[in-house]
Amino acid sequence: MPIFDQGYQHWNGEMRGLTWRWLAITQHGVRAGLQNRYVRMLLLAAWSPALALAAMLSIWGLLERKSDLIKPIIQSLAFLSRQMIASPKDYRLQVWTLSYDYFLLIELRLSMLLILLIGPNLISQDVRLNALPLYFSRPLRRLDYFLGKLGIITTFLAMVIVAPCIIAYVLGLLCSLDITIVRDTWRLLVSSVAYGLIVSISAGLLVLALSSLSRNSRYIALFWLGIWIVSGLTAASLEEAYSKQIARESYRAAEMEPPQHHLIRLMGSSQVNDFEQRMLEAQAHDWRPLISYIDNLSRLRQALLGSNQAWESLAKLHPIPDRSRFLLMFRGPSYPWYWSAFVLLGLFGLSACVLHFQVKSLDRLK
Amino acid sequence: MQTLFQLDDITKSYGAVTALNQLTLTVPIGAVGLLGPNGSGKTTMIRTLLGLIPVNQGTGQVLGLDIATEQLEIRRRIGFAPEEECLFPQVDGVGFVTYAGELVGMSHKDALQRSHEVLDYVGLGEARYRKVESYSTGMKQRLKLASAIVHDPKLLILDEPTNGMDPAGRDDILELARDLSHNKGMSLLFSSHLLPDVEAVCEHIVVLGAGKLLTQGRIEELKQAHGQWYDVRLKADPSMFADRLRSLGCTIDLRDDVLRVKLPENESQQMIWKLAAQQREQIRYLRPQRSTLEEVFLHALEKP
Amino acid sequence: MRPALSGEVSGSAEVKPIVSFHEVSKWYGNVIGINKLSLDIPAGVTGLLGPNGAGKSTLLQLATGQLYASQGAVRVLDQPVWNNPGLNHRIGLCPEQDAFYEWMSGWDFVLTSARLSGMPRRIARDAAARTIESVGMTRHMKRAIRGYSKGMRQRTKMAQSLVHDPQVLFLDEPLTGTDPVARRDLMDIIQRLGGEGKSVLVSSHVLHEVQSLTPHIVLLNHGRLVAQGHVRQIRDLIDKYPHHIVLVCDEYRKLASRVLSWDDVEGVRVLANQSSVVVETRSPDAFYGRLPALALENGLSIKEVWSDDDNLEAVFKYLVNK
Repeated sequence: MPIFDQGYQHWNGEMRGLTWRWLAITQHGVRAGLQNRYVRMLLLAAWSPALALAAMLSIWGLLERKSDLIKPIIQSLAFLSRQMIASPKDYRLQVWTLSYDYFLLIELRLSMLLILLIGPNLISQDVRLNALPLYFSRPLRRLDYFLGKLGIITTFLAMVIVAPCIIAYVLGLLCSLDITIVRDTWRLLVSSVAYGLIVSISAGLLVLALSSLSRNSRYIALFWLGIWIVSGLTAASLEEAYSKQIARESYRAAEMEPPQHHLIRLMGSSQVNDFEQRMLEAQAHDWRPLISYIDNLSRLRQALLGSNQAWESLAKLHPIPDRSRFLLMFRGPSYPWYWSAFVLLGLFGLSACVLHFQVKSLDRLK
Repeated sequence: MQTLFQLDDITKSYGAVTALNQLTLTVPIGAVGLLGPNGSGKTTMIRTLLGLIPVNQGTGQVLGLDIATEQLEIRRRIGFAPEEECLFPQVDGVGFVTYAGELVGMSHKDALQRSHEVLDYVGLGEARYRKVESYSTGMKQRLKLASAIVHDPKLLILDEPTNGMDPAGRDDILELARDLSHNKGMSLLFSSHLLPDVEAVCEHIVVLGAGKLLTQGRIEELKQAHGQWYDVRLKADPSMFADRLRSLGCTIDLRDDVLRVKLPENESQQMIWKLAAQQREQIRYLRPQRSTLEEVFLHALEKP
Repeated sequence: MRPALSGEVSGSAEVKPIVSFHEVSKWYGNVIGINKLSLDIPAGVTGLLGPNGAGKSTLLQLATGQLYASQGAVRVLDQPVWNNPGLNHRIGLCPEQDAFYEWMSGWDFVLTSARLSGMPRRIARDAAARTIESVGMTRHMKRAIRGYSKGMRQRTKMAQSLVHDPQVLFLDEPLTGTDPVARRDLMDIIQRLGGEGKSVLVSSHVLHEVQSLTPHIVLLNHGRLVAQGHVRQIRDLIDKYPHHIVLVCDEYRKLASRVLSWDDVEGVRVLANQSSVVVETRSPDAFYGRLPALALENGLSIKEVWSDDDNLEAVFKYLVNK
């Protein structure tokens, strides 16, 4: 029996090509991200809106089949107009669209929180621990590095957005047992998946760019929070000021002095109508939501899902005088969606530039 | 003799600073030491070999591959252990080396199997299951070495591998470097300021200065013997012995307790033994004088 | 066995020790850093050695008054170190870590250190210029430290520790990151200071550097003193390992057989490819005594003789038990 050499052995295995190199980085990063307790808790919490979505779609499916299972909860559906409950099939598209809309609205916030937990560390930790020479001294392009890191965020967001969308769709289909649903609503499925991708690419690249700016992840997390919350608050306060301005115009049109406070509460009923009309018109050109990052993503979501049209057809269920108020309450901003698309593309370009200049693969004098 | 790498007229500048100045050199396979004062362009040269930076002018080949066009192929065949401390975050030792292998293109299974093999080789035992942030300096250096050889490179580049290690750890790393280059057929580029370390591992050295090649060659050839010069140490005070030697025609240079003796022509060291027997002196050290690598290095720096 | 190795063997008894530890212990909670250490360091250059965790940094911090000894007394220049800022005039410290004000230039830094030790302005400027010149940093002294390489930082640190002309100097890894040129310069400075009667304690992991600086060493392990004194004398005291003496000779096998006939030779190893033999003996003195006669015997011309284990590396290995 020979004695085997315990020293260094040579290795002659096969090496994979460059195309899948980013996958190694993604897998490594996802595993590292899942080690964080709070990430796991957030992933779990992100599924409750998913359950609610699935429940809503299933209930509507059962309603269509006029199944007995639904009888106990028909009372709680009284907030919907009687016409909808009477002929559920006609309003199927609207209900599905708006259920997805609400679901994705909640998931967007949860996604921002998830990115807050895993995003800032992605590049700044590599810079802090000086891992970049280890990466770039290997047969790896910068592109593979960025794709790999982006893949980490996309994986987590897919778990939170895309997977629940698909699963809820299937559940809703099963509960209604009506294949014509697919003909009516397949666009929703595609749109929600596309939306998930848009959010992960846009937000992902943005947080990567931020992460490359500093060694200290905490500053980056604060910055991210700033982008999310502060921009939202800024847009909201601008909106508030704008609506007050429109209210004042409405008063002046009626040749009345606008009061100092409680502009809207003090309006008479006909004046309110006039005010609502003005607001609806103004919404079509209102640029203020563009300031808030989340609102831009929401606008794209509305455009993809067609939720504004859904609200409009639901508004027809109401008597004419109530329609504008209904629309103002529920329908989202109606400025052209491509404005938001431009803003997001601009941010995308800016992030790409920042990344390009910040992560130079070692071409500098020590 | 095969060529490890070859550089032709390479120039690289960063703004006003020229890091490499028309550098031309050919290096054979084997264990090569890279020496040079701070700012001589060693780091830039290493980065050029790795294909990490574009050069302003010049061509080069590493292991037969062109540095301008086949950079990814080159990096597949090279292992690099940088000088600074560098870590992948949030992994244990095994995960670290496995990831390092996957980044080169190994499949996960191959990388995992191989990482245990190399961790055995560098001597990281149970510690491999602990988080890398908790490692001591010596363990981090070994980890760096392991991650550099996990894909079985043809050329291993070590930049100051014994930095901050205690004497036991230093011996281990040098032993590993020697084993890899002499017994396992891996070529080695060893960059260090510690000349005895370079001497312990390498046969061939390259000396850079101000971005140019100052000298290169086999260590044995560069360290010439100095003819009739010998270093002698006695048990007792050497001054009387020195006087006697002078009277016999030798030239003496007394430093601390070591005598530098130049014997007259046609005499051998037997002369010293004879005198020692006569005077009842003990010779504790007798060796022909050879220049040290440090002297070779400092001499190379002085050349115009 | 241990006390036998730690005798003070260098120089005369009436030379007063410059740094003196008397039964000093230091612990951090339950973890012991230094364990009942008694040590006297004379003038000249002394090397402080030990594996990682041996207590070298703790010893230096105790000696410079940065730490308070849990037990025992630390004295420098015959004064207690703790809470004695006046003593800092005469102590210089070159620490291992880099802790600079990165925006300062090297000149500013050394000048400020000089002024901080109480020198009047003009004397401080002269001293700073002189010290910076001696460490070879005059060319770069106006640049911000932020742009310095590791070697330049080490030189600046050295300058800062020397500028007030201290009597006692503590150097913690002073040569890391320096290239051989800077290394040579700094080593010359250290040896010159030792020659001037100052006491320089150099702590280092790089044994061949310490060996070129001084044969006087202090060896610590596990917070305790293992050995102190001249390297070769310590080697003589190590009974456990016989001395290895290398003889290079053309007729090496004949030489080997001749040498084996001596009683005090315990073993002979033949190195054919270097045409030499390695002799193991526990009585090196007797062996060396017989050697000249042997060298003149017929046909046995011994070309080289040297001991491959009375150097610092061997002593370190033997005592620290790898």
